[in-house]
Formats: sequence, C-alpha cells, structure tokens
Amino acid sequence: MNGAPQESKVVSEMERISSKSVAVIDVGTTSIRMAIAQIGGPGGIKIMEQLDQAVNLGKDTFTLGAIQKTTAEECVQTLMSFKKVIREYQIDEEKNIRAVATSAVREASNRDAFLDRLYIATNIEVEAVEEAEVPRLMYLTVASSLNSESKPLNSDYLIVEVGGGSTEILLIQSGSVVFSHTYGLGSFRLRQMLESYGAPISSRKEIMENYIDRTVAQLRNEVSLKEPPDIIVLGGDVRFAANRLLSDWNPGKLARIRLSSVSRLTDKVLAMSVDDLVSQYQLSYPAAESLGPALLTHLILGRSLRVKELLVSNLTLRDGLLEEMTENREGKDMFREQTIRSAIELGRKFNFDEPHALHVANLCTAIFQSLQGEHNLDQRYELILKVAAILHEIGTFIDLKGQHKHSMYLIRNSYLFGISPKDLILVALLARYHRGATPRNTHEGYANLDRMSRIVVSKLAAILRVADALDQSHNQRLKDLQCSRGNGCFEITALCASDLSLEQISLSQKGTLFDEVYGMEVRLRGAKVDAI
Amino acid sequence: MHKKKQKAKFLNRELNWLEFNQRVLDQAFDPTIPLLERLKFLSISSSNLDQFFMVRVGRLKLLEQNQKTKLDPAGYSPYQQIDAISKRAHRMVEDQYHCFLFDLDPKLVKNGIKRVTSNMLNSQQLEYAQRYFDAEVMPIVTPMLIDPGLKIPLLTNGDIYLAVRVKPQGNGAPEARIVILPISKAISRFVTLPGTGAYEYLLCEDLVKLFLGKYFPKEIILECITFRITRNADLDIEEDLAPDLLHEMKGVILARKTGACLRLEISQSATLTIITFLKRILKVKRKDVYPISGPLALSEFTILSGLQGYSDLKFQPWAPLRSIGIEPTESMLETLSDHDVLLLHPYESFDPVVRLITESANDPDVLSIKQTLYRTTANSSIAAALKKAAERGKNVTVIVELKARFDEEQNIEWAESLEHSGVQVIYGIKGFKTHAKLCIILRREAHGIIRYMHFGTGNYNESTAKLYSDISYLTCNEELGQDASSFFNTISGLSQPQPYRKLEASPTGMRSKILALVESEVERKKQGQQAHIMAKVNSLVDPQIIKALYQASIAGVKIDLNIRGTCCLQPGIPKLSENIRVISIVDRFLEHSRLFYFYHGGERLTFISSADWMPRNLDRRIELLIPVETPSLRDRLVSTLKTYFRDNTNAWELNLTGQYDRINSPKTKRGTCRSQEQLYRQVEGSIQEIQSSRPVAFEPHIAPSERNL
Repeated sequence: MNGAPQESKVVSEMERISSKSVAVIDVGTTSIRMAIAQIGGPGGIKIMEQLDQAVNLGKDTFTLGAIQKTTAEECVQTLMSFKKVIREYQIDEEKNIRAVATSAVREASNRDAFLDRLYIATNIEVEAVEEAEVPRLMYLTVASSLNSESKPLNSDYLIVEVGGGSTEILLIQSGSVVFSHTYGLGSFRLRQMLESYGAPISSRKEIMENYIDRTVAQLRNEVSLKEPPDIIVLGGDVRFAANRLLSDWNPGKLARIRLSSVSRLTDKVLAMSVDDLVSQYQLSYPAAESLGPALLTHLILGRSLRVKELLVSNLTLRDGLLEEMTENREGKDMFREQTIRSAIELGRKFNFDEPHALHVANLCTAIFQSLQGEHNLDQRYELILKVAAILHEIGTFIDLKGQHKHSMYLIRNSYLFGISPKDLILVALLARYHRGATPRNTHEGYANLDRMSRIVVSKLAAILRVADALDQSHNQRLKDLQCSRGNGCFEITALCASDLSLEQISLSQKGTLFDEVYGMEVRLRGAKVDAI
Repeated sequence: MHKKKQKAKFLNRELNWLEFNQRVLDQAFDPTIPLLERLKFLSISSSNLDQFFMVRVGRLKLLEQNQKTKLDPAGYSPYQQIDAISKRAHRMVEDQYHCFLFDLDPKLVKNGIKRVTSNMLNSQQLEYAQRYFDAEVMPIVTPMLIDPGLKIPLLTNGDIYLAVRVKPQGNGAPEARIVILPISKAISRFVTLPGTGAYEYLLCEDLVKLFLGKYFPKEIILECITFRITRNADLDIEEDLAPDLLHEMKGVILARKTGACLRLEISQSATLTIITFLKRILKVKRKDVYPISGPLALSEFTILSGLQGYSDLKFQPWAPLRSIGIEPTESMLETLSDHDVLLLHPYESFDPVVRLITESANDPDVLSIKQTLYRTTANSSIAAALKKAAERGKNVTVIVELKARFDEEQNIEWAESLEHSGVQVIYGIKGFKTHAKLCIILRREAHGIIRYMHFGTGNYNESTAKLYSDISYLTCNEELGQDASSFFNTISGLSQPQPYRKLEASPTGMRSKILALVESEVERKKQGQQAHIMAKVNSLVDPQIIKALYQASIAGVKIDLNIRGTCCLQPGIPKLSENIRVISIVDRFLEHSRLFYFYHGGERLTFISSADWMPRNLDRRIELLIPVETPSLRDRLVSTLKTYFRDNTNAWELNLTGQYDRINSPKTKRGTCRSQEQLYRQVEGSIQEIQSSRPVAFEPHIAPSERNL
C-alpha cells in the first residue's frame, strides 16, 4: 500500500502543466454568466462551475438606449462576486479570463463608459463582441457538438438565437455557412413596442405576431430553402422551454421539442404576469420579461419555415469561448474553411472570375509560407491574405476602371464570416493595393492604421501583387511553383513548357513593392518538364 | 361497478406529535430497559413537551389571538387544536408523574439513588445543607416583591420559582403578601448530600424551602409552593427589516425571554389564592394551569440519568465503530479518490468526516473549503479545522445558520470567532433557513482540480453524531460536484439557481422531484410493473406528498413509511391507503436520517436528504436531496431501510384509529429484531470478517533513515 504513490507523483507534476483553469464571462441581455472550466487536460473541456446572476442590461439598452447607473453598479457587484470564485481556483493570469459583452452592451450609447467602469472596479477587461463576430461565435458554439448527435441533421440547417435586442440567424448548407444576418427583432424590443403602443393584453400577442411575421418574411426572401430545414435554437428562453417540456433532456444532446408543445407553452406564458412567472418557475425578473416574446418569435419562425420541431441546444456563448480558448487545431481549420467559403460566396455575388481568384489565393499561400522567415506573420494573416486574394477583383463588377478601389469599398461594406471588423479593413486595403499606387500615408483607410498594421498591409500586398502577376493570363497555367533564394533574389521556378514572358513582364511592373518590402528582386524562371 | 372515491384524510399534526412523545414516555415505563435510561426517556419526554409548548402551542396561540380561523388539513381550527392539545397534554403530564413517583423514584431508591426531602435529613446532612445554603444559595436567590400596582418582574421561561405567602407577626398587621423567589439556573438543581454509601441528593428548591425562614425573619410563612412557566418562543425575525441579522438575532434571544406565557406548572398543593394571583399576573387561563404532583422540570433529571458509575442501570455502551471502507492509515482524500464512502452514524464513527476537514485544512493542494453549519458543538473540531484552514490562507466560506432554533446564542459566538480567523461567514439566507448539510473541498491534483464532497442528513456536530442515527455520504463524483458547487453558489448569493444534474434542492425543485418519483411508481404500477416506495423521515406533514402517496396506494403501489415523529397520513383506509404501512422506531438512538427508495422499474433509486416531508422543509428551508448511485452503497442503504421494517421490539405501527400500537415481540429471542442493534451488529460483523480474512502481518515502525535500504 505504501511506496507506490511516490512514483506517480513525478508523473503527475508533468501532467499538471497540461491542464489549466480558465474563466469565461458573458455579460448578456438578462444576466451575467460565468463558467469556470479546466482545459487542456485529457478529458478536453471540463466545466467546473456555472454561475448566473440576473441584470437589467437588455431592458435598459433596448428601452432607454443607455445603461442606467444602478444597473452598471449591479454588474460591478456581480463581477466582484464572480471574482471570488475565480480567485478560489487561483486563476490569476489575465489570459485565462475571457469576458465578453453582447448586444445589450454593444448597442448602449454609453458602452465605453460602462466597460471602463467595469474595468476600473473589477480589473476584468470586458470586450464588447462586434455584431460581425457573433455568427462566428455562434457557429463555434454549436459546430463542434454536432458530431455527437445520434440523429444526423438535415443538410440545411439554421442556427437561431433570439436575443433581447436582435435575432441572429445563420444558414448552413452542406456544412458551410452560406448566410448570416442580424435582424432587429428582440424580446425586449417587442416588449417595449407593446408598452409604447399601450396595447391591451388581449391584442398583444396579435401585434407581436404581425411584427415577427414581417421579419420572418424578410428572411424567407433572403434565403432559398427547398425543404424545411432543421432549426437549432440557442438561448435561455428556449432552454427553459426544453426543460419544461422534456423531463429527461440529456443536456449533452440537442433537445427536440415539438412546435405544438411550444405553442401551448407560449400561450400559457403570455397569459401569465411577470410576477407569476417569477414565482411559479423561479425565473429572474429580466428572464421572465423576455420569455414570452422570445418563445413567440421562435414559434412563428418555426411555423413559417414549416418545421415540426425545434432543436434546442444547451450550449451557450461560454461554450464557444471555451472552445476558442482551447486552441483546438481541428476547430481552427474548420473555421478557416468557413471563412474561405464565405469569401467565395461574396465573390460569386459580384460575378468574380472564380478560377483566377482561387488560383491567386493558392499562389499567395505558397509564397506566404515560403517567406515565413522574412515576414514573421502568424496564420491569421495567411487567412487575411487568402481572403483578400479571393476578393481582389470583385470591384470589376462596378467598373474596370478603378476596380481596385471598388473592391475596397465593396469589401468594407460586406460581411465575411469569421473576419472581425478590424481585419476586414486589412482585407479591403489588400484588395485595393493589388494594383495601382503603392500604400501611402495620404490614402484613406491606410492612414488611420497603426504602424504595425501598415507594415502588415505592405508585406501582404507585396505578395498579392506577385501572385496576381503570376496569373496574368487568367488561365491558371502556372502550377507547382518552387521558391528559392539566392544573390539577393527571390526566385520562383514554374513547371511550364511554354513561354513565360507575359508573366515576367507583369512581374517586373508589379514586383517593385516586393523588392521594397523584402529587399529582394522577384524573378520567374521556367523549368522544362523533362528536365525535372 | 362504480367505485366510491375516498376523500384524502389527514391526521392533526399536533395531536399526532403528542402520540410520538407518548412513545418516548412508554420507554420510561418499559421494565426491560435499564433504570437510568428509563429516567432519561422520561426527561426527554418532558423537555420535548417543553419545546412543543414553546413553538407549536405558541404558534397556535398567536393564530388564535389574531383570530385566524383557517382549518388545518385535518379540519381543526386553532382553538380546537389548543383545546385538544391541552386535554391530551394534561393526561400526559399525569402519566409522567405517575411514572416518576410510583415507578422510577422508588426503584432508584432501591438502587441507591435517593431523593431526600427536607424532613428526612439526618443531622450531618442538615448541617451540611445549612452551610451550603449560606455559602452558595443565599447570596444568589433573592426574593422579588410583587406589587400588582407596579411592573411585574420578568419571570424567565423554564426556570423554577417559589411563590411564598407571608404575613407579618401580630394582630392588626397588614394583610398577607406574596413574594417570589427565583431558583436561579446558576445553582445546581441536584445538591449532593453527605451520605452513607448511597447517592443522596436534595433538590435545590427543597433546600431553599428548608431555610425559607432566613428570608422572612419577622413574618409567618403561610404557604410556599413551586411553579414554572413556559413562554412563546415562536418568534420570527422580520428579515426584511434586519440589515444586520447578527444584531437582530441577539434581539430574538431576548424576546424569547419575554414571549407570552403559555403554560403554568404549579405544585398540586397550591391554594387558590396563589393560583389566582399567578393566573392574573401571567395572564393565563385555567386550562393552561398544570397542577404538578412531584418535582418540576423533569427534563433536568437527564443530569441524574448521567450519574457516574451505575453501569448496570444503563445501556451497554455501543462505541462508534470504524468504517470498513476507510483505511485508518490512508488519508481521507486518498480514500475518496479511490472510492465513495457511506457512513451510518452513530454505529460508524463520525471521525472520518472531521478527519476529512482537518486533513484538508493542512493539505497544501487544497484550494478552498465551503461548508454549511447549522448546529455545532461549543468545542467543535470541525469549526476549529475551518479556522485553521483560513489561517493557512485557504478560501474558506461557511454558511452559519443563525436561525437554528434555541441554538442561536451558540451560533452567533461561533460565527464571530470564525470571522476573526479570516473565514468568510455568510449569515444564512434571507427568508430561508439553511438546513442542508454539505461540505465541498476543492483540491488541485495531477489531472486537474478535483472536488470532494460530504453530504449529510445530520448536523456537523460531533456529540449528536453519537446519539442520532444519521448518514454521511462522501464522494468526489464529478456531476455531484458540479451540482454541489451550483447549490453553494446559489445559497451564498453568487448565482441564480441552475438546473441540477443529480441533486435536487428545496425550496426550488425538491417537492416536484419527490412527487414525480411517486407519480412514476403509479404509472409503472398501472402498466402492470412492480412498484414499491420506502421512506424514512422524522415527520410527514406535507399535504401534497400525502395526497400523492394516497394516489399511489389507490393505484396499488406498496408503500412502507418509517416516520419517527409526526405523521399526518392515515394508513390502512380501504380504497385510500390500504397499501400504506406506517411504523415508528423509538430506541436508544434518536432516529434522524432521511432516506428514500423508489423501485423505479428495477433501477431502485435511493436518496438521502436533509429534509423532512413538511411544508416548512420544502418551502421555507434550503435543503438537499442526494441520490446515492454507487451500487454497493445503494444496496447498503436499501438493506438498512428494510431492517427497520422488520423491527419487532422497538417499533410502533400507526393503526386505523390514528393511534399507535407497539408491535409485539415474538416470545422467543430468535425471532426478535431490534433494528438499531442489528445495524450495530452488522457493522461489528463486517469488521470482524475483514480482520479474520486478513493474514496476520506485523508492520514494524521503521526509522526514516532505514526505510530506503
């Protein structure tokens, strides 16, 4: 009995390093929630604790426009008490605490003051999630869990979250995100609308139905669905419904709840006062206020898409954040794919030359990778470059003249899945600099960048120009490139039988930026097929 | 054929409780029980009755005063209940004194424990008594003059007083007056006299009576009698108005001393003059006056029952045994990371629980300890360990329930001393009493952070753990751990309630969980499956659960209930409760554990809980329902439950008339089953089995320098 444990201690010291405790906090519409988890251990993500404290953020923002001082102080109190638990787990490094705020904070007119107040009081940096990032996080939350479902999903499915101020909808077809949009339809907005109309209780449901119908009609116009899709729904309101309707919900799986039962529950909830909801179902006040309108929205959405059931996911934004923190390779690759597909979708919208765009994108990747030692940029930039390469010529949809500038503003005003607003500017600038003038401090957009970003733009634009020159023929004839360095030159050898002068001339024009940035001249050389 | 549906029927909770106290009193009459133990049962029945008056009767009186006429589920108005209680309680008090004066006291004398009355003292004893009176009693006991025109002095709940009527000497003197002498609790009730081998004692009030003349040198003593009052203690604090609960609690303790007088116990020999006088100043009615034929406050005779020696007059000691699931040389944390542990107290020692907390306080890898404390002992080693852990820099959070009835004073003291050591103390939860027994230990280990839990049915109190039957369940199960943390975060105000995976808690989901479990047995029975419910609680009062159990019985589900105290369910009524059996066990240990079993189509769901099946526990208290799923531990719990239902020496069965019949023991010793003894012997047996199966090996103590050679 004695003796044996001694040895295992040594092993355990090593294993200990691999698993760490992290905290993720989600400052949401009706509550602030925190999950403490262990990540990096043998079991993947292991949730230790979940905390949830009601706050009135959604009500404040979506009815008053700004967060009230008392609400802000309640949030401070909540974060302070959460910090106690964080300290218990001895989570002290900032990188192990991730705190985000969603629409209720993002849309508040005093959001910066509010976030500053939180930081000053609690030393926790809460980051407001940009609208454009929400679909990415939603997808991240749901996607990794779908593999474990026993019943496979339809090839088309929607991921829907009805929030306090808006509704997020993602459409996934054959595994890729083909559409995502934020609709201005939220439970608190609905409630506010009713109150400002002074609508009598008897007609409230009808008014909301009309309003929701209009949004759902808009959705039906925007996406084409041949048959009813599966609808995966997220959020506290539907989790409540699933818990009421199913006695034996295994929270690891999607709960399938019938629309007819949702309908009955919605009627029941809408007929009850908020006070009754609180006392009968042990809900917090904010949650009770949003419950009825949220359920009604889901119900109407489900009906108009002719589905029989809703698939409720128990996962939350916190699961998505944890997923992100585990730096799961597989997840990241899946993500890259989604982003690239989203870029291609955008390109198709503008009738781009798809083979050319993709070819340039691949050439960019090859050059980027072989220049790793020179540019020292991480993988995120590889993706930005690739997306820019895919979209560099969409401006031709407007006019050939000044097409690079058209590309820039089209990209800047589009939505790309998985690309944050900051990165979107980089993508747009790269497209702008794929031809024409080289970056200058007087250029709009470029001038506002910090120094680091400006350098990034130059480094990547140089690569994009070279890649574009290599497919000057637009027929993708140069494949299987080999890159080498020597005598102050960056030499690209193409396996090609025919004459390369078109590309070589183009390179001599477009390669100057490369020379300036990397201090190497680019040369293209053909290699006889039989010589290799 | 049309079946006539029976209406649900309820027994009155107060009258049923009085029958429980009668069962305790029955033990005092039982000649097969050792004499001092009988005295102890008598004193318990007396202190039970005191508390019953302070809380239950107090509550009814308040209802009556506020002219609440709502009927209880059994159909009684508050007035009717008070009336019926008074009648039953008078009879019980007569029984108690009959037992003491004609049964126990003479037998005690025979066995050398002799109560000496003032006229029986020998000269040596008299001399000693006088010296003792002058030195110890006279300076403390001071007469209080009662002038009806002035404010009546405060008479303390439960103390003994002498009422003396005195008259100045000589004719033409003013009229007789009444003086009250408080027999302070500061003086020992039992004054040991110098004797001749036997233990001889004089009751303190008798001693004062003996030398009463010293207080009234110039007056004639017309009459001297003893009396005692019971006050209303059912005083709730208005929590919303109490920003500083600690301060408010101190107020309640004070208020308990001044609540309305509910009962006046007075010597049988008192004249009408004194009775009328006391009734007037105390504002009590005739039926609240209890004439007493012997010494007051039999509850205090528990001291006498604990006299040193006299082992032949006491139960054979059953020392708490070690649990075979725990290796004494291994740390508790190591043991628990290997397997779950179940402890049946008091048969198995409570030490492992104390050890777990002490070890955690000293363990460098332990991050935090969170615990609820409801009733704990004055020198609790658990509280000491918690303080130590906090001093060593661990995160220690303790929820101290200040509202634990009659223990407030002790809890306040503890709470303050814990705070001084750096423990984060939470003073209960607004509007709810924290009754759950839970301890969570967070520890950093090789594979990440592991949570160790102790779930209990009894308080973290080492002394009651030797006297109450309770259950401890120790585990590091992950799902239970997550739930336990959620629960603790909820009750400490850090989070709103989260849905639980395994646990269920009141006041949120426990009742509906229990109802759902009962309902599921009904459903299974209707589908032709086997169905069975067993439950052990201290009290069954909740009308919703009772109705559900009636429904289950109607559906044909077999239901065995082991309810020590109050039971408002009426078993055995055809077409309503004929499949329900209710027994009650009263024996040397107080049955306290709550334990439930549902056949559930063969899954045999088994739970332990801190909650009784009363509205109070399910609606106004924070309680836990914990599933025990480890197969071997679950089997042990089921077998324990079944053992109680086989008891035929200390079991009573509730009959159709609402009365309890003692289950007759079989004539031969072979067929007898005394559940508490069986449970003890089982633990004893399993230890022997392990010892005999283990090869004899000697493990020498080796000097550290030699160990690695």
